[in-house]
Amino acid sequence: MNNLCTNVGYYSINKFGEQLCGDKVEIIEKGDNYTVMVLADGLGSGVKANILSTLTSKIISTMMANEMSIEECVSTIAATLPVCEVRKVAYSTFTIIRVIDNREAEIIQYDNPHVILLRNGKNYDYDKTSFEAGGKTIYRSKIQLCENDVFIAMSDGAIYAGVGMSMNFGWKRENIIRYIEKLYEDDYSAKAISTIILDECDRLYGREPGDDTTIAAVKIRRRKPVNLLFGPPSNPADVNKMMSLFFSKEGKHIVSGGTTSTLAAEFLGESVVSDLDDMDPEIPPIATIKGVDLATEGVITISRVLQYAQSYIGDNELYYDWSTKTDGASRISRILFEEATDINFFVGRAINPAHQNPNLPINFSIKMRLVDELSDALKQMGKKIKVIYF
Amino acid sequence: MNIYVCVGSSCHLRGSGKIVELIKAALKENGLEEKVNLAGAFCLGKCTEGVSIKVDDEVICGVCPDNFDEVFKKYVLDRI
Repeated sequence: MNNLCTNVGYYSINKFGEQLCGDKVEIIEKGDNYTVMVLADGLGSGVKANILSTLTSKIISTMMANEMSIEECVSTIAATLPVCEVRKVAYSTFTIIRVIDNREAEIIQYDNPHVILLRNGKNYDYDKTSFEAGGKTIYRSKIQLCENDVFIAMSDGAIYAGVGMSMNFGWKRENIIRYIEKLYEDDYSAKAISTIILDECDRLYGREPGDDTTIAAVKIRRRKPVNLLFGPPSNPADVNKMMSLFFSKEGKHIVSGGTTSTLAAEFLGESVVSDLDDMDPEIPPIATIKGVDLATEGVITISRVLQYAQSYIGDNELYYDWSTKTDGASRISRILFEEATDINFFVGRAINPAHQNPNLPINFSIKMRLVDELSDALKQMGKKIKVIYF
Repeated sequence: MNIYVCVGSSCHLRGSGKIVELIKAALKENGLEEKVNLAGAFCLGKCTEGVSIKVDDEVICGVCPDNFDEVFKKYVLDRI
C-alpha cells in the first residue's frame, strides 16, 4: 500500500419536474486498493431512464469488481436491458473509471462526454484507443497516476446546460475545463469539485435543468489522518493512557468537549484559552490549546457536525453553511469532510451527571449514538474510520 | 481582574451566551473594559449549577439574567 488513496464524490440534479434521476453513479471499493466508479445515463428521463441507468451501473460495477472483461460487461448489458417501447432500443451510456493500487487508472467510455483529467489543476490530454463491443464503439485509456489527479466524469446534461437560455450552444467540455481550472484548489475533495461544477450547470439552466445532470469526480490524494478526542474516559485513571495514545497519532488533533479540553490541556501542560468575540448563537465558542489543532465544546457541536454530515451525503444543501462559517461545528466539518481520509475517534465513556437531566438534549445515550451515526455518515463519504472507546 | 464565563455544554444550554452579552454591556456601561479581561472557560466543573462564571479565582454558580445585576455588583463593581 502506498500513501495515496482514491476519493470519489458525485452529485446529480434531476430534469426539471422529474422525481427520479435518469443518471446513476455506482461505486465499488474492494479493500484499500481497488475502486470502480460507474456513471450511467439512461435513455430519456424519469422512471424509465432511472431503471436503465440503475441496471447498467449496477451490472457493470459488479462485473468489473469481479474482474470480468469489459467485452463481457457490454454484452451482458446489451442482452439484459429492457427495450424501450417508444424508441425500440435499450440504451444507457456509461463511463467507467477503475483505479488499481492508487497507481493506475483505466477509463472506459461509451457515449458520455469524455472524462476530463486535471493534473496539478490543469487539463491533461490522455491517449484513447477505441474498440468495438456489442456493436458499440468504446474508448479505453490507461493512465499512470500522480498525486492530486482528478478525473471528472459527467452525463451529457452537463454540456447541454444553458442551451438556448444563457448560451446558444450550451456549455461545452472546454468551458467546463476552463471553469474548473480557474476555481481548482489542491485540497478540494471529489465531492467539492462535483458540487462546484454541478452548481454552475444548474445556474446556466436557470435552476430548471433541461436534462438530468451528473458530475462524478475521482481524486487521487495523499492519505490524511485526523484524530478526534470526544469525552473523558469512564475510568479517570485512564486519562493519561488515552491522551498519550491520542497525541502519539499522526495527523491533526481535534478535541471536543469542555472537560475533555481541560484534561488535554493539563496533559500537554498548556492552558485553554477561549475566544468570546466570535459568538455563534447556537454553537458554543471554540478554544485554543497549544498543541491541539482545534478545541470545541462537545455534544452540541458534534450534533451539528452530524447534521452537516447527513446533509453532505444527501442533498448537500447545507454546504455553504459549513464550508464558510467559523463556528466549531463548521470547522470540524471542513476538517473531517474535506481534508481527512482516515479518521480515528477516541471516545471517552465517562457520564457527566449534569447531562443526565431529561430536559437537556445532551445525555449519555445521545452522545454514544452521535458517534455511531457520525461514523456511518463518514464511511459513506468514503473515509476510513476507527473508533476506540475508553 | 479576570472574568471567565463557562461555555461548556450545560452552561451554554442554560444561556451562557446571554450572560456574556450582559457582562460585555455592563463593562462598557461602567467604563471597565480596560480593567477587566473577559474570556470563556471550558467547563468549570459545576455543570448542575450553571451558568457558572469565575471572577479571578472564585467560581460563582447559578448566574442568570434575573440575578445578574446583583452578581455583577457584588463580585465585580464592589471589588474593583
